[in-house]
Amino acid sequence: MTGTDVQFAICGSAGDGTIAAGDILKRTMAAMGYKVIAFDIYPAEIRGFGKCISRVRVSIEQAYSLKRRSDVFLSLNDAHAIPHVGEVRDFGAVVYDDAPIATIPEGAHISAHIRPAQLPYGASFRQISDKVTGNARARNLVALGYLAGLYGMPRDAFHKTIGRKFATKAASVTQVNVRAFDAGYDAGASVFKLDDVVMAPPPVGADGSRAQMMTGNGATVRGLLDADIDCFFGYPITPATSIMERLATDLPKRGGRMLQTEDEISAIAATIGAGYAGARAATATSGPGLALMTEMMGLGVIAEVPSVTIVSQRGGPSTGLPTKTEQSDLNLAVYGGSGDAQRIVLAPTNVEGCYRCAGIAFELAEKFQTPVIVLIDLYLSNRYETVIPPEVKPFAPKAIPDAAGRSSGPFKRFAFTDDGLSPRAIPGQNGGVHTITGLEHNELGRPADQADNHQRMSRKRHDKLLAATRHPGLTVAKRFGRTGKVDVGILGWGSTFGEILEAMYAAEREGISCSAMKVVMLSPLPVHLIEPFFDDCRIVLVPELNHEGQLAHLVSGTLGRPVVRLDRVTGAPMEVDTILAEIRRLALGPAAGNAA
Amino acid sequence: MNEPLKPVYLDEKLVEIRADGHQDYRSKALPTWCPGCGYFSMAEGFTQSLKRLGREPEDVVVVSGIGCASRFPFFINAYGFHTLHGRTLPVATGVKQANDALTVVAVGGDGDAFAIGGGHIPHAARRNVDITYMVFDNGIYGLTKGQTSPTSVLGFTTPTTPYANGDEPLNPLMMLLAAKASWVGQAYAGNPHHLTDMMAEAIAHRGFSYLHILSPCVTFDKTTRTYKNLGMMVRDLPADHDRRNLMAAMAEATKVDRPALGVFYEEERPTLADVMDGIAERARKGIAAE
Repeated sequence: MTGTDVQFAICGSAGDGTIAAGDILKRTMAAMGYKVIAFDIYPAEIRGFGKCISRVRVSIEQAYSLKRRSDVFLSLNDAHAIPHVGEVRDFGAVVYDDAPIATIPEGAHISAHIRPAQLPYGASFRQISDKVTGNARARNLVALGYLAGLYGMPRDAFHKTIGRKFATKAASVTQVNVRAFDAGYDAGASVFKLDDVVMAPPPVGADGSRAQMMTGNGATVRGLLDADIDCFFGYPITPATSIMERLATDLPKRGGRMLQTEDEISAIAATIGAGYAGARAATATSGPGLALMTEMMGLGVIAEVPSVTIVSQRGGPSTGLPTKTEQSDLNLAVYGGSGDAQRIVLAPTNVEGCYRCAGIAFELAEKFQTPVIVLIDLYLSNRYETVIPPEVKPFAPKAIPDAAGRSSGPFKRFAFTDDGLSPRAIPGQNGGVHTITGLEHNELGRPADQADNHQRMSRKRHDKLLAATRHPGLTVAKRFGRTGKVDVGILGWGSTFGEILEAMYAAEREGISCSAMKVVMLSPLPVHLIEPFFDDCRIVLVPELNHEGQLAHLVSGTLGRPVVRLDRVTGAPMEVDTILAEIRRLALGPAAGNAA
Repeated sequence: MNEPLKPVYLDEKLVEIRADGHQDYRSKALPTWCPGCGYFSMAEGFTQSLKRLGREPEDVVVVSGIGCASRFPFFINAYGFHTLHGRTLPVATGVKQANDALTVVAVGGDGDAFAIGGGHIPHAARRNVDITYMVFDNGIYGLTKGQTSPTSVLGFTTPTTPYANGDEPLNPLMMLLAAKASWVGQAYAGNPHHLTDMMAEAIAHRGFSYLHILSPCVTFDKTTRTYKNLGMMVRDLPADHDRRNLMAAMAEATKVDRPALGVFYEEERPTLADVMDGIAERARKGIAAE
């Protein structure tokens, strides 16, 4: 990471406008041509005064994790902010409202908690807001303006974002907010800056005009739409709900259909029904919903019907931690269901990956005639990254099967072929009439339970998927950092890979010989890429957000090689420091054979 | 009804049946049902009604669940999807959402429909998905060898109710009427000509049509719902029954001791596809809600 790399943290109580201030900040930065990653934390309750934190990391190259330490911290509510003020790095800034200090009991004011190496800035946001707008509600804009003034960021870029944010409201709303922002800006610009945070302008030629701030869920929707999805079926569940909400608005505009079903079983059942009838159909859910869907997944596998299921994981088991992140549904996604039910599972590691995986999932589902799961998690679903959507849709159009011109006789829907892929026909097509079933069947699709038939059909369904690991246009696994032999290798998946990269580069700077690999395709596992990585690493560490080491088991079980597990289930993303400490320990520690 | 019976010669009858053309809707697969099963008349009635309505086999999709009745699609020459136990309706809804032009018929037994699949029925009915749902009700689980079902009578003794069934049977017709099914009718496997008429009418109905078909299980129920008992119980709906009157339909549906055959209820209202098209139109015009 070179040049500007500044992380802002804004902390307040629900209702303070914390998330809104962070939103304006990140959108302005992206529009200026910076790369941004942002993640908001808010309470599970709809009402109340829970804690909100909006963290926005602004850099020149796209980062895929938040920094270990924030550079600038803004408190809109000291009671909530005091426990977090320690995350500010030395010579970083802590900004707070200094007006009511006389009325607050000793210790309850944030100024008493700032460490000597942190630089404090007190300003009267409440008072300023009162003065220029007539009430204190716009103090979040005043404080945001103060930050912009303090670091010399361009005023008009913020004005544009504020205008866009309130575009659907009366013009006076924008005016009031701009006035509040400007008053804060003037106050910030007139302060003598003491910290060493530098917001250099974005590099020459950096163009933010096409950049969008997208969440993982937003990018997933965009991917589904760019792949020309026809039908979506869903049932509300945190943290996947925003996918169906967005599609409810956008899908009908292009003639597609979104149906809210009566449960998750119906959602996947209708998705498979629509897939059988030739539509590009998808559903989205979280772990508890996927648990309900597994029986249908098995049907999709044995009846060889294409379907796409987006799964955003949250803390489990059962209802678990609905608003906290976790990576504990890998086993369910890869293995869930009765019998041998191999399917394709993709786990993107960043927001742009969500776009690509969601779009290419249809292509894979149609080509390999199988359910495809795109496995993300709450952290990835809800975090924002800068994405520049491609101008030309990068996904293959729908592969419409064609039974016409076929020789007469019954249609062999499940014919044995060299690559295991049989001819497909969809209802409405003459010459392709056939029946599919969840029973083991012969080439015609009729029930057949003979021993050698079950053996052959099981092999067909398994082997046909292997080619997916070499599918063009899809990164199934990728190595980062140093090439060749290394001391410590870090293998990761999903949202945690951003923190893994950050930790790996930090370890490298400390002189540790290390390298990282992300596994995007979890099923079938791209062994041809993972095995050479194991050959190059003295020891392999697998950090993941679950308690059972699910990827560690999958990889070590498939490869027959030992790994060192690093499992955390705190409900929060894995800390870079935690991974770094483990890399340091292993770099000095015993060989892989003696560990674990 | 009172004409003297004429002798029927098998070879002549076969020529007549083949010439009719409805056998083109039967697949080459031999039915796995027991000899004498009521489901044979359903397969016969279904093929005849498709022939009568002029639907091409490739434009018809038969979706079923799991059970004796759900083996139905294998014996029909049309696109078929033998799905999971109880999931007939959501799969059929998905098929119809993907392609409005298809004739989609969902088929299942009483266990598939009202035990494991009961949660889906009201939603398919209230959405008025333009499909036909035919439930073959023999009041027993046949494929697992004769256990009690949600429509089994009180006191029915089976391997799972050795001390007699104490669960009150469901009233499927009242359930479907309450769930706003836009066409509700009942037929009897022992009255195949009427059954064929009812199937044809149910398939022709625009919207969600529910056809309840009473049938015996000749293998596992020798005491309650035999041809003899059912034949004595069934009656025609009163000649003056008003099929537009929901309360009259409800009243007829309560008379479970004398099940009536015919169309209980019918109404025209927008189908799910109509609703979807309306949504698409408003979305294109940028109207959030009317």
